Amino acid sequence: MSSPARIEIRGLTKRFGGLVAVNDIAFDLRANEIMGLIGPNGSGKSTVMKLIMGIERPTAGTIKLDGVDIARWPSHRIARAGVGIVFQHSRPLHRQTVLENIKLALLPDSLLRLAVDPSVDERARAIAERVELGDVMNRHPSTLPFAFLRRMEMAKAIARDPGVVLLDEPFAGLTAAEVAAFSKLIRSFRAENRAVLLVDHNVKGVAALVDRVLAMYLGERVAEGTAEEVMRDETVRRVYIGGKIEATTQRGRVAAGTAPLLDVADVSVLYGKAQALDRVNVQVREGEFVSVVGLNGAGKTTLFNAISGLVPYSGTISFGGRSLAGTSAAAIARGGIVQCPETRELFGEMSVRENLDLGGQHLAADTRAAQLAWLFDLFPILNERQSQAARTLSGGEQQMLAIARALMMRPKLLVLDEPTLGLAPVILEQLSKAMEQLRRTTPITVLLGEQNVTFALPHADRVYVLEHTRIVWEGDPLRFAKEMGTGYL
Amino acid sequence: MLALQILIDGFAISSLYALAAVGFTLIFGVSGVLNVAHGGIMVVAALVGWFVAGELGFGTYIGTLAGILAGLLMAYATYFIVVRPIERSRAIPREETEIFILTGTLLWGIMIEQLMAYIFTDNPVTLRPLIGGVVNIFGVRTPRNEIVIAAVSWAVIGLLWLLINRTQRGKALLAAAINPRGLTLLGFELSRIYLLVWTIYGVLAGIAGVLLASFLGVASSNTGPLTASAFAIVVLGGLGSVEGSLIAAYVVGYLETLTAYLVAPTLRPIPPLLLLILVLYFRPQGILGRR
Amino acid sequence: MKRLPRTYLFWIAVAVVAAAAVLPFWLSAYLLGVLTAAYYFGVFAMAWDLLFGFAGEVNFGPTFLIGVGAYTAGILNSVLHWPMVLCIVAGAVAALIGGLLMALPALRLRGPYFGVITLVAVLLLQYAIVIFAGITGGEIGMTVPDVLSIDANVNYWYALAFLVVCAVILYVLSRSALGLILQATGQDPIEAQALGFNVTKHKVAAFCVSAVFSGTAGAMLVFYMGTASVDTVVSIAIDVQVIIAAVLGGRRTIIGAILGAVFLILANELLRPIGQLNTFVVAAIALAVILFFPDGLLGHALRAGERE
Repeated sequence: MSSPARIEIRGLTKRFGGLVAVNDIAFDLRANEIMGLIGPNGSGKSTVMKLIMGIERPTAGTIKLDGVDIARWPSHRIARAGVGIVFQHSRPLHRQTVLENIKLALLPDSLLRLAVDPSVDERARAIAERVELGDVMNRHPSTLPFAFLRRMEMAKAIARDPGVVLLDEPFAGLTAAEVAAFSKLIRSFRAENRAVLLVDHNVKGVAALVDRVLAMYLGERVAEGTAEEVMRDETVRRVYIGGKIEATTQRGRVAAGTAPLLDVADVSVLYGKAQALDRVNVQVREGEFVSVVGLNGAGKTTLFNAISGLVPYSGTISFGGRSLAGTSAAAIARGGIVQCPETRELFGEMSVRENLDLGGQHLAADTRAAQLAWLFDLFPILNERQSQAARTLSGGEQQMLAIARALMMRPKLLVLDEPTLGLAPVILEQLSKAMEQLRRTTPITVLLGEQNVTFALPHADRVYVLEHTRIVWEGDPLRFAKEMGTGYL
Repeated sequence: MLALQILIDGFAISSLYALAAVGFTLIFGVSGVLNVAHGGIMVVAALVGWFVAGELGFGTYIGTLAGILAGLLMAYATYFIVVRPIERSRAIPREETEIFILTGTLLWGIMIEQLMAYIFTDNPVTLRPLIGGVVNIFGVRTPRNEIVIAAVSWAVIGLLWLLINRTQRGKALLAAAINPRGLTLLGFELSRIYLLVWTIYGVLAGIAGVLLASFLGVASSNTGPLTASAFAIVVLGGLGSVEGSLIAAYVVGYLETLTAYLVAPTLRPIPPLLLLILVLYFRPQGILGRR
Repeated sequence: MKRLPRTYLFWIAVAVVAAAAVLPFWLSAYLLGVLTAAYYFGVFAMAWDLLFGFAGEVNFGPTFLIGVGAYTAGILNSVLHWPMVLCIVAGAVAALIGGLLMALPALRLRGPYFGVITLVAVLLLQYAIVIFAGITGGEIGMTVPDVLSIDANVNYWYALAFLVVCAVILYVLSRSALGLILQATGQDPIEAQALGFNVTKHKVAAFCVSAVFSGTAGAMLVFYMGTASVDTVVSIAIDVQVIIAAVLGGRRTIIGAILGAVFLILANELLRPIGQLNTFVVAAIALAVILFFPDGLLGHALRAGERE
């Protein structure tokens, strides 16, 4: 670790209006080093990457590349100065072959050099071989599998031999075998004296690859060190899983033998060519409270969206014994599976009451009134805030409103996606109490997706662990504490 | 005297513009569609109204109703023949849908214009006023019809406001404009919401077309300019903002009337276009637009 | 493997051009006139395709650039009596300046907003022409003293030569390093920047190139017809036809635009017997193509080729 710092970041801050996305971040990135920048959704890690690349302009701070401050430079100048980036989503040129796509990255930024230099062709071929695309370099991108396209993006990023390579979630959408092959490729960058910054949701996925990890949360630095150190770090554990994983008494309300209310069988989802869900099986019985735990990016939201009919999938999802194939998302919601999404999807400019009324529009007037009264009882704060616009509520209140709005539909199955995302501990406690009350006083069936295990476990009858597009574990919460307690992060 | 004349005339034409633009902005707000065939729909309503009222001899009232119905049918045709197939097409990449809808409705507008010119020729036609006669407002002789037009426009806009803000269905429309995904999750079929919006739009464009025919007269060649003025109003006001459109309608209406009276009637459309360019340069989100 | 078909295509192109060159010996003067106009149209459509298909800029008002070129050339010729060649060059330069004026908002505004600006630009140019009727001839149009030739065959060959030269230049440009970069900036400007390309510079360049070709073609058209009028070079109707030609032929193909233009102009002529309805039918055909073959004729064929 004696090599000099390629990138030196000090006091890096970015505000979007009133929101502080990145607050006073500082770190060094050396040659021959792979550094992981991790954090859950909204932690500001991607913004840091964009700031380095010049896609966003920093509000304050310096970014030095080999001693020169490149903060506020235009993107293309930073690229020419020796920074390459692999975006998570990219759109290759479809009319061109893989080789031509790689050549693009080698072209000079000039209006007058129309003819492609012969050396460019040679170099592009060499790079194609280097990322193991030699056999397919004359094919069109649209004919290639996803992993190959990711390789092509890698090739473009390293084409002009940059000293710094930024990778945005390089493993998203890849299978385990592909991840291994990719890791090898990324390690070889280190051997070439490059500095690599890898942005990802979680430590575990990148632990084997990185020399050092910087963990971020809500725009702040929370921990730095080796992957093991960061994984053991108390703050990181609190951010990710909500603190200590505690065993809870099992309730066993539901007999194991009953037929499932919701049956997800062999469901796979592809986003374009990226695998987002791989042959997932989940059952929820009537009256059960099932938690799907997994880190951001594992596929929880995708699973819920498949259940709600919002994304196309293969496999079958049936509800109450009937397949949901061909049913519209709205019809599924009216049929009793109501999702309260991670993004909440409130009607921001409308009042709390109007939001709730929209949820209850399919009910008869008297039922609606009764349901509303019950919900105000469950979440008294909403009663006080009835006429306030939804977007002016605090994060916790918005989450309560989102849950209440979903409950207005009198769901048979409530699908709750990451209700704790970005909420303060006090709010979590309130939310937890509401969950408990819901469980005790109603026969409702709940499917909860959470990263925060501390929140997810106490209410759960059963737990599934989703990791990198697959279900890797299932069982009751007691066993989870024993078997998964340490290995989860 | 002249000032008062401009004030009165400008008010009438602005009200009409407001009515026409509100439907246009509503469609954009709720479903994200920029319907460039807008002028065509108004023209159809106007010409059918005139034809049924005058040529077929059913009188102004039946003609007005027929015109509104024609506007509604054209709105449906636009949605089902052009907009929806493009939105649902798998061959068109998501990020190009907007451009395809613009191009598609542009072609559709041309088809309407040509067909109308073929059937009704290109001569301007005028629908007989709903109410005849002239009143004297502080010395300015004003046709009663002008007052009726302003009143009807505002009554319709008022009804629309009630529909959106005071009824359950209307609330759902508003919600769709804010967050369509959220609305789907609450069990609302967006396709039905869109159909409702196009229905409202068709009726509004129909009324605006018929009123325009009884005020200034309409010819098939008005298709383009009508779309352009609606577009200018809606962009000035901020795409999707109903209040913004209402304000912008008055800005454009008065600007045009002032030009017509003080400079030359032929130069009428120029100041709004220049204003539009200025606004797009310096405040692309429009007067009240949200970004 | 890829080489063979390309040389193949090259020879097809040579054969088509050769066949087109001997057409005057077979066709009537009337049909030649139609094709001559179609060839100028082809250049309009190719220039538009470079801007939209490659740089990703939606220009709904190509006749702004065409009209600036056409009227500049026409006025210089009829009022100042400049020689024809000089007028054409001046037309190209004026269009270039127009292109720079258009590029300014394009860099600030998102697709549909920019589209509106371009439409408005055409309307404003129309009004300007009507207001300054003294030198522009207003709505009636203006007559230029000089013409390219009074012989229909010679006019045809001029147009064909001009088309071929423009097609070769634009095609080579689209296939060159610059074309690759343009395509990348059009598709994903952020990624293009991260690959080290100054997107602003390349977009402005695309506007300039498109403008020069549009303006030159506009000026040539004026000297072919001997007149310049709002209806022929500055109108939304012509804008739409240029766009249809490019989309019909297939976006991002350059050469497809020629096919589209020839098809469109021929269809317009062949449908003349049905009178007023011909524009209706052409618009309907174009709408059908957009709905069913959004990639256009050549684009559709190319796409099928890629899938293999």
